[in-house]
Amino acid sequence: MKLATMKYITPFLLIGSLFMGACTKLDQRVSSVIPNQDFWQTPEQIAAGIAPAYAQLSVLPDGNFQNLQETTSDEQVVPARGSDWLADGQHIQLWTHTWTSQTAQVVGAWTDLYSGIGKINFILSIVNSLKPAPDGLNKINAELKTLRALYYYWTMDTYGNIPLVTDFNTNPNTLTNTSRADVCKFIESELKTSLPLLTEVVDPTTYGRVTKWTAFCILAKLYLNYQVYTGTPRWADAIAMCDSVIGSGKYSLEADYYKNFYQDNESSTENIFVIPFDHVNIAGNNHEAEDLHYQNNINFQLSSGAWNGFCSNAEFYSHFDTTSTYTVKGTEIYRTYLDSRSGQYIIGQQYTPVFTYPPNLNVLSYSSNPALKIKDAQTGLDLSFYPNITEISNPADSFRLAGARSIKYFPEPGTQVSMSADVPVFRLADILLMRAEASLRNGTASGIDLGYVNMIRARAYGGDVSHNWSMGQLTLPNLLDERARELSQENWRRDDCIRFGTFGNARTPNKTVDADTHWQIFPIPKVQHDANPNLKQNPGYPAF
Amino acid sequence: MPLHQHLPKGLLSGMLLLFSFFVYSQTRTITGRITDDKGNPLPGTTITVRGSSTTVSADSAGQFHINASAGAHLVISSIGFAEQDIAIGQRTSFSVTLQTDTRSLNDVVVVGYGTMRKKDVTGAVATVSARDFSPGIVNNPLQQIQGKVAGLVITQPGGDPNGNPIIRLRGQTSLSGGQTPLIVVDGIPLDDPTQLSNIPATDIESYDVLKDVSATAIYGSRGANGVIIINTKKGRTGRTLVEYNGYVGMDHIEKGFGLLTADQWRDVVKTVPGITPSTIAGLDKGANTDWLKAITRTAYTHSHNVAVSGGTGDFHYRASVNYMNQQGIVINNNKEQMSLRFNGEEKALHGKLDIQFGLFSSEVHRKYVDYNIFDYVNTTPPTYPVYNADGSYFGYYDYDQQNPVAQQMLEQNTGRERLSQYFARVDYSLLPNLKIGTQGSYSALNFQKDFFQPSLPGVGNVNGATQSNAETDSKKGDVHINWLGNYGKHSITATAVYEYNDFTNSNFSASGQDFLVEDLQDNYLGGGNPALNVINSYRQEYKIISFLGRATYNYNSKYYATVSFRRDGSSKFGVDNRWGNFPSASIAWRIKNEDFLKDVSWLDDLKINAGYGVVGNQDAIGPYNTLLTLGGVGRYYNPSNTTYQYPQSYAPNQNANPNLKWEQRVGTNIGVNFALFDNRLYGSANVFNDKTKNLLFNYTVPVPPFFYNSILANVGTLTNKGVELQLNGDIVRGRDFSWTAGAQITFIHTRITSLSGTYDSTHIATDDVPVGQAEGRGYASNYITYLKVGYSPYVFYLPEFAGLSSTIDPGSNSNQLYYDANGKKTADITQAKSRYVDPTPKFTYGFSSTLNYKDWGLNFFLRGVYGQKLFNDFSNVVSNFSRLPGNNITKEGLTNGIRGSQTASDYWLQNASYLRLDNITLSYTFRHLKGLESLRVYTTGSNLFVLTPYKGMDPEIRNGDSNQAYIDTDVYGDAFYPRSRTVVFGVNVSFK
Repeated sequence: MKLATMKYITPFLLIGSLFMGACTKLDQRVSSVIPNQDFWQTPEQIAAGIAPAYAQLSVLPDGNFQNLQETTSDEQVVPARGSDWLADGQHIQLWTHTWTSQTAQVVGAWTDLYSGIGKINFILSIVNSLKPAPDGLNKINAELKTLRALYYYWTMDTYGNIPLVTDFNTNPNTLTNTSRADVCKFIESELKTSLPLLTEVVDPTTYGRVTKWTAFCILAKLYLNYQVYTGTPRWADAIAMCDSVIGSGKYSLEADYYKNFYQDNESSTENIFVIPFDHVNIAGNNHEAEDLHYQNNINFQLSSGAWNGFCSNAEFYSHFDTTSTYTVKGTEIYRTYLDSRSGQYIIGQQYTPVFTYPPNLNVLSYSSNPALKIKDAQTGLDLSFYPNITEISNPADSFRLAGARSIKYFPEPGTQVSMSADVPVFRLADILLMRAEASLRNGTASGIDLGYVNMIRARAYGGDVSHNWSMGQLTLPNLLDERARELSQENWRRDDCIRFGTFGNARTPNKTVDADTHWQIFPIPKVQHDANPNLKQNPGYPAF
Repeated sequence: MPLHQHLPKGLLSGMLLLFSFFVYSQTRTITGRITDDKGNPLPGTTITVRGSSTTVSADSAGQFHINASAGAHLVISSIGFAEQDIAIGQRTSFSVTLQTDTRSLNDVVVVGYGTMRKKDVTGAVATVSARDFSPGIVNNPLQQIQGKVAGLVITQPGGDPNGNPIIRLRGQTSLSGGQTPLIVVDGIPLDDPTQLSNIPATDIESYDVLKDVSATAIYGSRGANGVIIINTKKGRTGRTLVEYNGYVGMDHIEKGFGLLTADQWRDVVKTVPGITPSTIAGLDKGANTDWLKAITRTAYTHSHNVAVSGGTGDFHYRASVNYMNQQGIVINNNKEQMSLRFNGEEKALHGKLDIQFGLFSSEVHRKYVDYNIFDYVNTTPPTYPVYNADGSYFGYYDYDQQNPVAQQMLEQNTGRERLSQYFARVDYSLLPNLKIGTQGSYSALNFQKDFFQPSLPGVGNVNGATQSNAETDSKKGDVHINWLGNYGKHSITATAVYEYNDFTNSNFSASGQDFLVEDLQDNYLGGGNPALNVINSYRQEYKIISFLGRATYNYNSKYYATVSFRRDGSSKFGVDNRWGNFPSASIAWRIKNEDFLKDVSWLDDLKINAGYGVVGNQDAIGPYNTLLTLGGVGRYYNPSNTTYQYPQSYAPNQNANPNLKWEQRVGTNIGVNFALFDNRLYGSANVFNDKTKNLLFNYTVPVPPFFYNSILANVGTLTNKGVELQLNGDIVRGRDFSWTAGAQITFIHTRITSLSGTYDSTHIATDDVPVGQAEGRGYASNYITYLKVGYSPYVFYLPEFAGLSSTIDPGSNSNQLYYDANGKKTADITQAKSRYVDPTPKFTYGFSSTLNYKDWGLNFFLRGVYGQKLFNDFSNVVSNFSRLPGNNITKEGLTNGIRGSQTASDYWLQNASYLRLDNITLSYTFRHLKGLESLRVYTTGSNLFVLTPYKGMDPEIRNGDSNQAYIDTDVYGDAFYPRSRTVVFGVNVSFK
């Protein structure tokens, strides 16, 4: 370049470089999300930062985890009605015990559970590094570790030998499986360490949060299943934990069984630990859509048709005492079940008048007026459910109506999904039955245990003690059936079947006897092994 | 500090103060007149003193005046004519006749931050100008050049006037979205390529497509997907031109779904096993409805464009007004567009100061289609009526089944887009060979969406409304210096630019439910159930700051070299990775100008070029992906809080990756350009080999310790290799009759070469990633396409179909068989052996032909794809007998013999090669009408036929912008809007 050119260009370069110097800053304001270091400033923010540890629970009781706990047991079957609910055979695999490490729910439940653990690890790492330390840090730690122990309990129960991570900053390449027995020891130790710091208060401030009583419940479940998990029974420990809950005096049975599962069940005196849901604010409880038929929106006043999926077979339904009293009003006949719990499954013809709560009282069971019959819109058939499912897959029109349908979480008018009913995880009735079972297995069953069981039975029969058991009726097989009646759709049935030895039995439709017990835990998902090749597959499943 | 706010004014006044006194002219005035070979004046012709920046334009009579010295040369150029170089000597007056030049080698190509003569370009750059545009109903400007540029694949998925085309230049360049080329309009990149649909096609003069990496490297971190430069029409000094272009068009559906008619349905349902007369009676409502016909119509479109252009002395301008109203062939579906554009240029201070400015404003009103209706058309029995006897809609509801006409007619589903773009540029010739300048622009897109769904007949849903408002704004500014020098046979140019870009995206939305008065739609959102109101807002901002330079060298128009360098900084990245360098180099050798070829008379031109460059991609990265940020993750229940029981919880909204950096595409290109036989046959060939490194993708990470199962990281690599051939011929060049033809063919081979690596000392091992699913009733997470190392993206992995069994297997309830690993037939699809099938086309091609006889013109354009395979998910689901009687099926479902639920096997993978008559136009031009300069009338037929073995509705589906590539689905939002055949009548008038 010529010198003359340079002479003219130089001032420009100088001016230009001034602008450039000022404008090479790439600092950027962050909008709509908040940098982590700028959060955690107030007690309310800390509470909102801890809340995701609980919020993650909402995917469990009616998602992949529910499918793994219920469809693999004798309680719930999801048959393929033509193409409907075929879903590439995932539900059939669960029912017939032919799942693989790639079955959708096996893959999904893992991340559903571990997301809770991961979030708690993250929150623990943050709250323990805050300066100044937040008020009650010890209590916060104890509460979070107890909740983490619950997630670990479920994860261990589901997958057996799992990676144990307690530090958010763990290098993923170092993770391997921990044996099921060692995970049990970890859960026990975490809970015992936390117990003294946990709150004993049971009121709205602790609703949906873990308390000392929740910790006892987790330990009770752990000890009751300890033989399954480790080979060593711990019945006495299980009894002691149940007694700690029962003896607290904090909980009592509701007179109305359905009160524990209704929209307003936050006032239940029986539920110990629940996962809160709300039609507007917390989605995830979709039971009404999954269980009911497309046209059940008519008698349950749903905002649109349901999905016609989950149901129960005749064998499971046979556990219920469907003896009823009948009243006739005009052309209609109404039934009231003696055992109120029998109303939680609906069978038979559906009629257009509104189905009223509670579902055990005055159920319209017959009408001679054909105009009141609801019909299946797509096939023109009368909408009449029958529990006798003999095939796992059938494209026939009538098969759309197969299966007894659960309305335990009573359908909420004006909704179709996202019901407001909170789903109980631990409930006093369960603890009472667990106490009786542990005593029976321990050889120490007494009148106390019989009394606990009969409290539940009398409540079911509306206070009528004539259906109470004698000591001779307090047997393990009877208890398993009582648990079916009392605890269906509370996500414990797989555990119960394994503990009572019925998990691998043949079932109608299409399930043959399990060849071995490896089906009692699920395989490590293939995608997790792909991401972390250190993980080893559980026994009985094809090695990676 | 946003630079552009201060620069134009500040710098300009600085320039004026400092340099206005520089006057240099030891010259005299030269005059002349420019005409074409028929003696018509050529207004607007550019006359430049070679080696200087002195430039003037010819006036309306073709006259010009220019100051030049005796030793100088005048370079005279006009688009469409061969450039002339005239030595002035002692003459002061010239009469110049320009020869038409169909090759336009001397045309100027915009190469980004500058222009070059086409013949001097060293990279792979293709230009399409107005005369080669496809006519017809042009909904998106790029339809004008679809299939015309080798390497540029434009796919229009279906016939929705509100749909956007998918644009891929030289293959799939990335795995995580952001693969659309950068679209630059008059030097300003669009914030979002979809904004193209707001720009009227009639304003466009030409497209320059920068294809190879050495050419796009000047755009650095935004050049990885190639660059399409759009040049709008400008005015020319001379007589004022008033033009009108308009057309009316008619669209009709191309092909139906092939569903059963009501009578066919009645015949066949009797044969459904186990069916009862009462079931049939329940479903047969006595109607004969063709549901596809019920939701479609013959659609009318009209478009009008009025442009005024001209200029006097040193000022010229062009202003245009556009209006277009396009109906979709689906009922209640529409696009209405109004726009105004003004371009002006003022030269001052003896031609040394050049001021350009542009204004563009458009408003588009859209009525959208609810894509669920295509699903309902296929599920609803043809025996259901559309209306009840009283004229109200017949209401019904079942899974995936309701009245599609009611849904489309009763829903309010509209959008309004307002796009404003302002641009100004000032250049000053500091010295004859040195220009400095600055440019600033502002673009604002406001998008308001209105949605209201009433309680639909038979569905009984709770009504709901949503209104949302989004802003996509940007501010851009630059300072640039251009220098050129001629030293004998050496010619050098240099450009340096500083650029600043600031982007802001924000939106606000509110929705409510359960309104008492449905007539108010979304205009009284407060009127619903307050517990169900939802509000939301969002904002993100980022900046890109760049320094870039380019130098070119040309020795005697024989040897060329170009080098460029760009340094980009982006606020999206972590502090250590913010800046990236993007160099390029390319060379060219015009062999024709060597002595040994000079006398080869049949060879008019031969040039080879080679280039290498590095470009980047950051589109997949959000502004805050590198930061550990917390976002709202849902509400939690806190009953102890008496005023507010469901507060928001906050958690990390992503697995943050502080080490994110630019995805890098490194490419080489070798090309040859040639012209033979008196320029009758000319074309180009390019071979390229590109590699994308540090491939951005959401790689799977283990849970735990993470609580999200993927992280955006730079890990993998993929390669794109290809060959592009473009050939044009002037077959007949008569005075009355001429015939030209052109063809292009593109071969592209994309391979994923790695998906594993290390990020932040953590090993990521991704073997294959499931991406696309078979969809429809009965499917859930049934993945059939994958990203797999060693294959092209979206390779199919499907069970091998083995025919039909004569019996129904009790296990599968089906007669479909598959081959297992031992080659034996099995009815259990979980035992079937699967195989990989590459669905990507072997090549794509286009062929055009133009015939002119006197004032008549006939041209047509064919384009096609060869070797593409599609999974016919639509037929897989709908051509299934077991859907009867409650859902309708296709006629194919009666003959294919399949019983039992559908399964995703390779039976449904179908050859989807095709050849489409994109358009054919017949025109006549009236040349001597009173009061008119010219009048051209034409009629165009678009998409008059498609030759394809594909059994689905149309083989051109949405490929590349979603995970459902190569899957022709029928469900939900992935359904396809039927394509149409179009006839257009148009007129182009130029007033005197």
